[in-house]
Amino acid sequence: MEYFSLKRSNAADRGGLNLSSKVYVRSTKSGKVQKIVRELYLRQDIPCSSNLCRPCLETAPTDYTKKVAPFVLSDTPAGSKNFPNGQYLVPDTNAFLTGMDLFEMETAFHDVIVLQTVLEEVKNRSLPLYHRLIALTKNEGKRFYVFFNEFRQETHIPRDVGETINDRNDRAVRKAVEWYNQHITQAVKTRSKSQMRIPSVVMITDDRDNLRKAKMEKVPAITLADFVFSLENADELLDMMSAAQDQREVRSKKTEVFYGEHYTVSKMMTGVKAGTMHQGIFNVSPYNYLEGSVHVPAFDKSLLILGRENSNRAVSGDVVVVEVLPQDQWKAPSTKIIEEETLNKNDNPEVEDGETIVSERERKALQEEVKRAHGQSSEGKPLPTARVVGIVKRNWRQYVGHIDQGSVRSTSKTSRQQQMVFLVPMDKRIPKIRIRTRQAGELLGQRILATIDSWDRDSRYPMGHFVRSLGELESKGAETEALLLEWDVQYKPFPKTVLDCLPAEGHDWKVPASLDDPGWKGRKNLRDLLVCSIDPPGCVDIDDALHARKLQNGNFEVGVHIADVSHFVKPNNAMDKEASQRGTTVYLVDKRIDMLPMLLGTDLCSLKPYVERYAFSVLWEITSDADIVSSQFTKSVIRSREAFSYEQAQIRIDDASQQDDLTNGMRTLLMLSKKLKQKRYEAGALNLASPEVKVQTESETSDPVDVQTKKLLDTNSLVEEFMLLANISVAAKNYEAFPQTALLRRHAAPPKTNFEELANQLKVKKGLELRSDSSKALADSLDTCVVPEEPFFNTLVRIMATRCMMSAEYFCAGTQAYPEFRHYGLASEIYTHFTSPIRRYADLEAHRQLAAAIEYEALDPSLQSKSKLEGVCKNINVRHRNAQMAGRASIEYYVGQALKGKDITEEGFVMKVFSNGFVVFVPRFGIESLIRLRDLATPEPEAQFDAENYVLKVGGEVNGSVELFEKVNVRITDEVEQSTGKRKVKLTLV
Amino acid sequence: MPLDTSTYSLALLRLDGRRWNELRRIHAQISTQAAADGSSYLEMGNTKVLCTVTGPAEGRQSGQRGGKDSEAKVEVEIGFAGFSGLERRKRKNDKRTAEMQHTLETAYSSLLLTHLYPHSTITLNIHILSQDGSLLAACLNAATLALIDAGIPMTDYLVACTAASSATSSDSDNSDPLLDLNNLEEQELPFLTVGTLGKTDRVSVLICETRVRMERVEGMLAVGIEGCKRMREILDGVVKEYGKKFS
Repeated sequence: MEYFSLKRSNAADRGGLNLSSKVYVRSTKSGKVQKIVRELYLRQDIPCSSNLCRPCLETAPTDYTKKVAPFVLSDTPAGSKNFPNGQYLVPDTNAFLTGMDLFEMETAFHDVIVLQTVLEEVKNRSLPLYHRLIALTKNEGKRFYVFFNEFRQETHIPRDVGETINDRNDRAVRKAVEWYNQHITQAVKTRSKSQMRIPSVVMITDDRDNLRKAKMEKVPAITLADFVFSLENADELLDMMSAAQDQREVRSKKTEVFYGEHYTVSKMMTGVKAGTMHQGIFNVSPYNYLEGSVHVPAFDKSLLILGRENSNRAVSGDVVVVEVLPQDQWKAPSTKIIEEETLNKNDNPEVEDGETIVSERERKALQEEVKRAHGQSSEGKPLPTARVVGIVKRNWRQYVGHIDQGSVRSTSKTSRQQQMVFLVPMDKRIPKIRIRTRQAGELLGQRILATIDSWDRDSRYPMGHFVRSLGELESKGAETEALLLEWDVQYKPFPKTVLDCLPAEGHDWKVPASLDDPGWKGRKNLRDLLVCSIDPPGCVDIDDALHARKLQNGNFEVGVHIADVSHFVKPNNAMDKEASQRGTTVYLVDKRIDMLPMLLGTDLCSLKPYVERYAFSVLWEITSDADIVSSQFTKSVIRSREAFSYEQAQIRIDDASQQDDLTNGMRTLLMLSKKLKQKRYEAGALNLASPEVKVQTESETSDPVDVQTKKLLDTNSLVEEFMLLANISVAAKNYEAFPQTALLRRHAAPPKTNFEELANQLKVKKGLELRSDSSKALADSLDTCVVPEEPFFNTLVRIMATRCMMSAEYFCAGTQAYPEFRHYGLASEIYTHFTSPIRRYADLEAHRQLAAAIEYEALDPSLQSKSKLEGVCKNINVRHRNAQMAGRASIEYYVGQALKGKDITEEGFVMKVFSNGFVVFVPRFGIESLIRLRDLATPEPEAQFDAENYVLKVGGEVNGSVELFEKVNVRITDEVEQSTGKRKVKLTLV
Repeated sequence: MPLDTSTYSLALLRLDGRRWNELRRIHAQISTQAAADGSSYLEMGNTKVLCTVTGPAEGRQSGQRGGKDSEAKVEVEIGFAGFSGLERRKRKNDKRTAEMQHTLETAYSSLLLTHLYPHSTITLNIHILSQDGSLLAACLNAATLALIDAGIPMTDYLVACTAASSATSSDSDNSDPLLDLNNLEEQELPFLTVGTLGKTDRVSVLICETRVRMERVEGMLAVGIEGCKRMREILDGVVKEYGKKFS
């Protein structure tokens, strides 16, 4: 009898042509080497996806639902000079790595075949680029098709003995291009004998060797630059090519290096594990571009990174690994303002030779720093310094800036000469970016969007490339877009897929009249309640409305009614996804960038007066001492009786002649809200302040006319108190129902060290004590920080205390222990956002969870997954902060515009003192600005800085002193800031 | 970094070039070990399993080994070769193996006509030579072949395979069920192992250890059962081919 042998069976069976295998070796993180064997099934039914080809359509694969994916590549692809019959492009890996911005252009680069080989390599080299590429393949208009060449019988090639992996991949690309050309030619011939227009399939590569081999094999190939040249709008496109590739060619010429080499990843990881190195995020001080800090878990205080050499090509925001310097190099943080613009005005972007990494003037500035630090050891607080030894993750994004006029060689608009120029980013913490451009003349005076491509050791500044121009500097459109881009706010109009999710009735949608309608299921009819809304004037997206009435037993029934957005936005549809990405509505001075489409935000969801609307209501029974007896949550239908502005509501309440039920209800609310507020403060809630101003604009042109500080009325806090109460009640309910996945908001207690500086300043200057052991202690001691003759002083301290706080964040209940849920600022054990679902995504999620908690509807699976919710939280945290920043930047811009050409003298307060300048805050306009010594008089007066007492004694003709918290008179004018191109308020001491 | 399962939706191709409804290459032989009462060798892709059957034999000590008075007892032992996985690791009888053994024991106890062999034991020894996903399914298939080789009467072939639900991309929620997973797919996707009796739709083994959305299970089961039918044809072919030698 014949018996079995492993060897024979394999040999006999492996002959099958359609089975191949891939064997490779990889090393694991722990250093082990693994050999991996994978099967490859080769096939012939992978379509070419060209609309020219019929045979492929017949064999195209179907999915589980028997659907065939539509073919991607156009049957009439665009042509170019070299390929008049049209072309399909097959870029190699480097083409994508260097030219991703090009490929993303809407106007060029259609019909692109992305080979599997290339896709894998791109993923290997850069994950962000890989994701951008995947996004491109899903963009229908761009017609990008991923061809799995490694799985197709004809295009699969095994690696030859001794062949490098790069050579094999290049060969695979050429093979695929060759096959494609044959295949398309044949397809066109079988289709019609007469048609002669056969598009070429062209490989795009910059590798010389690859080009040469392609030529030998008669495979059409071209470099990316040559291809772009043959297009119509070549100039603009050429600028967008990444600078990285030019450098590769030039590098051999230069040997001079400016920066130390980064350590290898394994060396850094070993160092971090062993504790000799530390990992953290690199932050640059907004006052001194040469001073950065890295907060690492091993130390309480941040490590200082001083100077360019030590920051070693790290850009603010990068995740870096640092090494602590020896103790004799430790220094105190700078008390001096150093701006890149003033020091390195004359750097030439073209010439790198003969330059040293630290320019002479920079060195001088640093030298003075060292002297100061050594001379004043009495101050005695040198901080540990460190240097960057490697970068774990670059956090480069696209930067908005303008071209430095001084760096442009020929400013003629017609010149098409390529030159290297500097882009000065708006964000002062980002170094200048070197950009090669052919349109320097045109770009001058414009807002430019650019990215950083690389920063090599032999280059003082990072290299980048131009992405697009936003428009004239200082024009409203360009500046608004610039700040939206800078804060990564999604401002494009909603795509059609999102608008398709809106109710078909549009503005005619109404609450169904019949109570049997499915929309009424589970809803309470609260239309008879006297509900009203109180909002800022001109508010159109009304999230919340209130009512109160007396009950039989002497208690009060109070209701907070929130727009029922979750009724209109169902989980996981296109609208929900867009909203979750936007995360929040962004309010600019003249513009609102909505999270949800207008129809919902300002009409169907908005709790407008006199019409019926769906709502989500929280109803409490409250005693007259503002103790809560019971609370109840329900979906409802309400009819708001009136929409007040804060001021109108205040007037109505104060007007004793108004005795109708609605007004009395508001009075009840006001009475209860005061008691609630009192209770909150007793529990230790903080009353913080931030400089808030409002820009008055002309109604039609929205040109700024005047700036006013915001007034706070009793009605403001009326609404606020009940919103807080609703949020807290909902948070508790959601947490009870979903202890793992409830979406909550926490505010961590600030570490003590945050307040050290401020407490010391108060003690030295005013003899006041600031205690920060608990929020209650802090609240109490803040109340005592009063200077009788200066009422504003308390607000100033509160503003400064606010800056020492941590920022509040959204989180998912399962990721923290219960004590960590605490909201420090509000002194509440648990908190969430529930009351503004029109403008915040977190609230929408809370609505869905609450609806499930009261068993109104089932919870969507996406809200049950902790990992998904964590992703949502992370995103909305970032969006929330960015929205705030964008809003502030917008106000700053408009304040600048409002003060344009004016000359006012105002009171201000000194907030911070440096050795060569100080920061003044002007409450009237909510602005703070730096006054440098050299602004006081020319030549720059001598000054003595007493760091212990926060006093700057200025000599020379000025002859005076400036100390912290001092009230000063300043003259306010405006000027265009050289370094950022922003119009800014300029202060001078009177 | 090689591609992962998320690229499936790009061209409906899996990591190894298969479509959603394709089995891997199946190779099987029976009567491979002359010394055993029944034996088989089965490859599902790179998962390779050797199975031998001893018995039905009388228990060495009545009462201790050996089944109840009325029927035979089925015992299963699974051993992993040191070189079978990615890393050379000694696997003692861990819980995972114990569970697989238990699954096989219960499945075959009800399938085999054990009442024909009172007071006796049927021992299955399974050796895993190479692991690349669908391990339990391979063990079940190999055991079926070996039991047929041993001539132990049973009602039908017990055949098994795995089915998963492919990764969903962020913009579409529909996912294809995938048949017969390899190791990489098992690590990244939710999957289940289903065993059916021959050509019928009667499920006798169903194991799912990963979290999966309720509405996906139906599709996965349907595809798994379809795969089992094809598996039965292949195994049947192997048995018939072997039988020809005796004609």
